[in-house]
Amino acid sequence: MEEITLDVPVSPPTEMFMPIPKKFLERAYQNDDYLVLVGPQHPGSGHMRIILRIKGDIIVEAIPDPGYVHRSMEKLAENRLYIQNIPLFERPAIMDTGNMTLGYVRAIEQALDIEVPERAKYIRMIVAELGRIGTHLYDAGILAVFLGHTTGFMWPFALREPIIEALTKISGTRITASYIIPGGVRRDVDLRTLEFIRKVTFVIERRLKSFERIFIKNPTVITRLRDVGILSKEEAIKYGVVGPFLRASGVEYDVRVVEPYEAYDSVNFDIPVADEGDSYSRFLVRVEEISQSFSIIRQAINELRKMKEGNILSDQLAEFEPSKSDVRGYFYRIFGDLILPRGEFTALTEASRGSLLYSIISDGESNVPYRVRIVTPGWYYLKGFMESLRGERVADLQAIYGSFGYFPPEADR
Amino acid sequence: MEMLSMSYFMNNLVEIPLIQPAIDYLLQIPVIGYIVALLLWKPLFALIFFPGLVTLLIVLLFIIWFERKLTARIQWRRGPLEIARPVGGIIQPLADGMRYFFQEVIVHRDAHRPYFLQFPILIFIPVLLPLVMIPAGTIVGIKTPYALPIAVAIISLIPVFVVAIGWASNSRFAYIGTVREAFMYFAYEVPFIISVISMILIYGTADLIEIVNKQAIPGIILNPVAAFVFFIAMVMATSRLPFEIPEADQEIAFGPFVEYSGIMFGLVMTIAYEKMYVMALLFSVLFLGGGNGFNIAILGDLSPTVWLFIKTMVIMVALSFLRSIYARIRLDQALKFSWSMMMKLSLLSLLIACIMVVV
Repeated sequence: MEEITLDVPVSPPTEMFMPIPKKFLERAYQNDDYLVLVGPQHPGSGHMRIILRIKGDIIVEAIPDPGYVHRSMEKLAENRLYIQNIPLFERPAIMDTGNMTLGYVRAIEQALDIEVPERAKYIRMIVAELGRIGTHLYDAGILAVFLGHTTGFMWPFALREPIIEALTKISGTRITASYIIPGGVRRDVDLRTLEFIRKVTFVIERRLKSFERIFIKNPTVITRLRDVGILSKEEAIKYGVVGPFLRASGVEYDVRVVEPYEAYDSVNFDIPVADEGDSYSRFLVRVEEISQSFSIIRQAINELRKMKEGNILSDQLAEFEPSKSDVRGYFYRIFGDLILPRGEFTALTEASRGSLLYSIISDGESNVPYRVRIVTPGWYYLKGFMESLRGERVADLQAIYGSFGYFPPEADR
Repeated sequence: MEMLSMSYFMNNLVEIPLIQPAIDYLLQIPVIGYIVALLLWKPLFALIFFPGLVTLLIVLLFIIWFERKLTARIQWRRGPLEIARPVGGIIQPLADGMRYFFQEVIVHRDAHRPYFLQFPILIFIPVLLPLVMIPAGTIVGIKTPYALPIAVAIISLIPVFVVAIGWASNSRFAYIGTVREAFMYFAYEVPFIISVISMILIYGTADLIEIVNKQAIPGIILNPVAAFVFFIAMVMATSRLPFEIPEADQEIAFGPFVEYSGIMFGLVMTIAYEKMYVMALLFSVLFLGGGNGFNIAILGDLSPTVWLFIKTMVIMVALSFLRSIYARIRLDQALKFSWSMMMKLSLLSLLIACIMVVV
């Protein structure tokens, strides 16, 4: 039989930088597998490279190559005053600023042994929960656009707007507010703002019903997400998955309940848990969390209405600053030269995407931290994310990616 | 030379009572009269005006704008607005086309240069040829008893060109997109052809003019299953969501067309819309009674044209609506759907047709 040849000018690249060990390449070559490098500029990968070893259409192994948006937050924090680190630590997850600063501030409070006034606790909780709703909506939008559902992308992003508006009314800034400070919050919230926030929860809740019809219950979305990227309960625990993704695998663990901080022990809310551990339940758990957050916010507003306005900063701070009557420069005089006692102080917070760990190490004499360690939820569940890719199809990569809401700037810090 | 004489055209002119005096006047003038007679000669009118080039261009401009506008309205946005603000940015596709025209066409080193540049232009042959088979009343390009099989056969050629485009692009994403296109092509082609065959059985002819005449009851009522299968096949063939699999931009960055730029991208981008137009025309002829409708006396021969146009546009609007309500399903799910569900339904439609023929 005659062999047919086509004179196509194709020659495989001879010298090419490969961001993987040579051994791995050879092993893939011997097993007749494909290597697909997704990212870091791919439209569906975010700022991370995922190295996929593929057999046919099935992912055999996935290796993450994170670090493209690493900003060395931990090192930067060592050269800043304690108070200056608050704006810095808002940056990892831009929508989730409330939770991000809350963890850091709580570690400082723990070091100084400050008791936060009740009113400030509730306000902080509202800010944190607004951030949680915003992040979950953001992630739902990203999931939708990964699935090619543009309406499902636009609606949550539009729904975020009232939340940002509420945050503006609380703090004066749309996103990076630096609102939560050691000892309390920066500004008080008046009754009109509280009423506005309450209305916002109802507005978003109503709009979410139509979002549910077009995206959450959409048959094509369910087809794409159900039974895809399954993490069993044992696997989820083994790989250290956190937050809603751990709860989607059937583990009932929430820092807000296990180690309550702020006023979480005085409000009633459920922890949504699912048993399937697939992409769809990971998404549904977060959708359910949004409605739980609404409930928390409403309860907090009811509590705040009963309280007297004004008491938002701990009295203990006066120990650092005697002349409280002079308002000018008060903030700077208290926090400008803050020195933490010698030791290590750790705070665990439930950020929107999972457990967030801050650990401040102080030498007891300088006004900057000796070392700050942040472990963000994205970094915690990266391993679980990669393991859930195993055995799925290449086209499912985007669906699983979206279902985890993986946010490289948060994981890379 | 009898073929080129004016009287040959005069026997077969499109009659429009609304502007008949103007036409009569123009026909008196020596050279212009000849050109007018040529343009109004029915086969050429079909080719140039309806359903041919001019309408195709208008439909392209309209449907791209309309799809963007509709999607935007559903998504709480405004859509194209800035260009021609008083009419809601309706000439946005034209502006985009101009931008494409003046952009550089980049041909990358690994591409197969001749084919890479030829295929986006060559693909217009299978896209435009079916148009001459489709009748609007008495206006038709080519009268033949085999119009329907020919049109379907030519439409089936389009994916071959898309595959060739992907092959000539010689890039990873284009390669995956091409393979996906090929898979989808096989998946929808068989149910599509079976549903067409069942309609041929029902009407007892493959001549589209006769098919239109026989539809006292529209085909969609005679055999709704075939209409459904045809519609889904249309969605698959034009890569609309939820079957936007060959071009999935989040997965393979526009698939076979990833390497194109400038006017070449403009050309390949419109292929799906042109295919959609051709298939929507075929759908309205087969299932919605084509140019049937009450006669608008003042438009004369153009009356069926208007009806066919309206029906086609309704189908196309329905197709553009899908984009804002569905997510993209996976290739294997789409294949499973078409090889099991669609296949069964198309066989059912064939069964219905057989029963109708026998009874």
